Amino acid sequence: MAIDRETLRYLGWWLAFGVLMCLLPFVVGTGTLRILIFAHFLAMFAMSWDFLSGRTGYISFGHPFLIGIAGYTTAILSFRFDVPIYYSIPAAIVATMVGGTLFFLPALRIRGTYFALVTLAFMEILYQLTKVVAPKITGGTRGMSGLESIVTGAVNNYYLSFGIMFVTGVVLWLLIRTRLGIALSAIRMNEEAVRSTGHNTTKLKLFAFTVSAAVSGIGGAFYVHYIGSIAPRGMFEINFLFTILVAALLGGAETIIGPIMGAYFLTVLLEYLRPVMPGMERYLLYGAIALVLYVVRPEGIYSIIADAGRKVQEWRR
Amino acid sequence: MALQILIQGFVLSGLYALIAVGFTMIFSVGRVLNLAYGVYIMLGGYIYYAALQGAGLPVFASFILAILAGVTFGLLTYLLLVRRLEDNPIAVEISTLILAVVMQALIVVIFGAAPKTMWPVIRGVLRFEGISVTMNILLATGVSWVVLGGLMAFVRYTHLGRAIRAVSMDRKGAVISGIEPSFISMVTWALSGAFGAIAGVFFATFTQLDSHMWVFPLIISVAVVIVGGIGSIVGSLIAAHIIGFVETITTTMIAAELRGVSTMLLIILVLLIRPKGLFGRAEL
Amino acid sequence: MTATAGPLLEVRDLHMTFGGIRAVQGISFQVAEGETLGLIGPNGAGKTTVFNMIMAELRPTSGEIWFRGENITRVPTYERVKRGIARTYQVPQPFGEMSVGANIRVGMAPDDIWKLVSEGADHAAEADIGRSVGFSDEQIDMLPSELAMGDLRRLEMARNVAVSPTLLLLDEVFAGLTLREIGQISELLVEKKRKDGLTYIIVSHDLRALAPLVDRVIVMSFGEIIAEGTFDDVVRDEAVRDAYLGQ
Repeated sequence: MAIDRETLRYLGWWLAFGVLMCLLPFVVGTGTLRILIFAHFLAMFAMSWDFLSGRTGYISFGHPFLIGIAGYTTAILSFRFDVPIYYSIPAAIVATMVGGTLFFLPALRIRGTYFALVTLAFMEILYQLTKVVAPKITGGTRGMSGLESIVTGAVNNYYLSFGIMFVTGVVLWLLIRTRLGIALSAIRMNEEAVRSTGHNTTKLKLFAFTVSAAVSGIGGAFYVHYIGSIAPRGMFEINFLFTILVAALLGGAETIIGPIMGAYFLTVLLEYLRPVMPGMERYLLYGAIALVLYVVRPEGIYSIIADAGRKVQEWRR
Repeated sequence: MALQILIQGFVLSGLYALIAVGFTMIFSVGRVLNLAYGVYIMLGGYIYYAALQGAGLPVFASFILAILAGVTFGLLTYLLLVRRLEDNPIAVEISTLILAVVMQALIVVIFGAAPKTMWPVIRGVLRFEGISVTMNILLATGVSWVVLGGLMAFVRYTHLGRAIRAVSMDRKGAVISGIEPSFISMVTWALSGAFGAIAGVFFATFTQLDSHMWVFPLIISVAVVIVGGIGSIVGSLIAAHIIGFVETITTTMIAAELRGVSTMLLIILVLLIRPKGLFGRAEL
Repeated sequence: MTATAGPLLEVRDLHMTFGGIRAVQGISFQVAEGETLGLIGPNGAGKTTVFNMIMAELRPTSGEIWFRGENITRVPTYERVKRGIARTYQVPQPFGEMSVGANIRVGMAPDDIWKLVSEGADHAAEADIGRSVGFSDEQIDMLPSELAMGDLRRLEMARNVAVSPTLLLLDEVFAGLTLREIGQISELLVEKKRKDGLTYIIVSHDLRALAPLVDRVIVMSFGEIIAEGTFDDVVRDEAVRDAYLGQ
């Protein structure tokens, strides 16, 4: 991969961000760390969504479906069949990629608005099915709790979740800077023209989808072992989808960095609003913020910060 | 059992047709999917409940209030959100989904999270050959037929209705012949809100009121659009019956828990086999 | 692939039906390598539909398409591009949020995911292609929204040159252009043909611009070929005059 100067400069920023976040446990309490752990998982899901939907314009309303496959696979393997989590987690990731691809492959033939609806339908199917099919294994409506954890304590979990998120973020970010990233964006702008420049767009979309599924799989598998439980409600819910979507869009779709920002912003905002607004008012407020921001500034926080940075540079000159 | 399936199927399908009609209208006229449509249904139910069981107003007045709420909210969705994003159907889809979740939160804030049971619009049960059907659901089916028939007459025989139909078939052509599409859009969104609210009252008496109740009707509406294709009232009606009967047969003959699954599978199947819907693109 | 003695492209008895409308009814023609074929006819004659079928953007109801002695009727669009067929669109279809250079980059990018990731872009080659269709160096960084219609047609040419085609289908290349731009695009076409030995099929309403470029002309009307021959013969043809005047 050709790494130019600009990429190197950005990588410097990534490194600074990494170092800063690694020092954080020495400064803040475990309460804050636990909040940030959620932000890291949300960032995983939002980046996964962004790599598929932000790039190619194929809007997925079914990401909870992917996360759910991973979560249920590792939960069932480790909890019901005593498979060690060193095997169950990789198995879950593979299952997400394979299972997800098998289901979505036909859906990729469908254009635009319908794609979102089919993925939404997939999520609803899995929601219904986990409740009724083989409740002895899935735990039915109540799901499973008391899942094994990978590491214990807030600090360890913080480092684990940050590590996964950071590595995934850097890899995805490098990927979108290649010609692959450009080709995927071109699909969003005009798929027919991409085909007529000699590209097999199905292959490109399938690749984007598989990467997205892998990231969702990693995030989902680690997530259920962190929270220690899984249930259809909460997993296959529109509210969960909504949080992922809003994190990606609020931060700035198509940028990978944006969804990470969005995830931190959203999690921290929700947490600090908790004492003031204990109930659904929080969702009301942040949903309203997201809606206004989306209509007024669809490019999200990332573009606001990038613009500000540019202005500062001009001003210094 | 066959008779039971027949009666239940027709009754359920009538309700589904009523639920879906407002959603299909928006799709055929504006080519956008309004994911906040379920909110009109929820709003209709809650306003009716608040008026009838909270404020003690008569049934008729409560109904009118619910419809007014639906119309207002439909117009607001269009004016504040959709009109600004109209050239981008994906942005409309995303923003109306966010709007729906915001409204869900608002309902919880105002009415609380606990589900509420609504009184049926009319009481009584009809018994026939060992099968019992509530008068309420029969009324819903009747209203559904009246509304759909009225709508069909409206688009056929009134000037405004024909204008709506013209816009749904060919927006540019309609503009050339002097129709103002943004006015037509407003009328459509207002009507959609009204239909949603009416459907909401019956849907809520059929199940119950809670803040998640917008999702299921939305999925039914989406299914009707996908199965029936774009922009045909008759197509939607047939689609609603396919969905209603498939569901009735699944729940009575296989397992009651599979209620939602059959509809989802139907959606996916139709999309894969005939992405343009079973009846393609007919006229409104 | 070796050049065979036969035609470069051969279209055999193509039919295309949309719903009940027969847009193309039994079109057959051949194009030899190095030839420039004009495809003319009144609006709705089915010219663009023929292009869409040659590019596999539409699947013909019946009929066959052969390229270099190979039946490609079932070959998908991107494979046809790799075999050497490319097209421009009546309404230019740039990637709207990308610079001219990035638009060319998509055209140059290989259809191989591993290479897309591992190999960086060749900015010098992009600029070369840009210049070869007449873009200035500043224009390479511009967005399509900042370009005039003539430049948008150039951009389509550039993206096509990037896939190094042997057969180029040009759909209404002169539409919406000023006289000066028409001259420039014509020159570009002649030069590309001289340098790279391209074969063209050109659809155009602008017969005056078309005349000096074409070796042979096919006239379509209501989905059928009504005349074929040199430009001069065809414009004198009785049936052709009727078709155009009846419009």
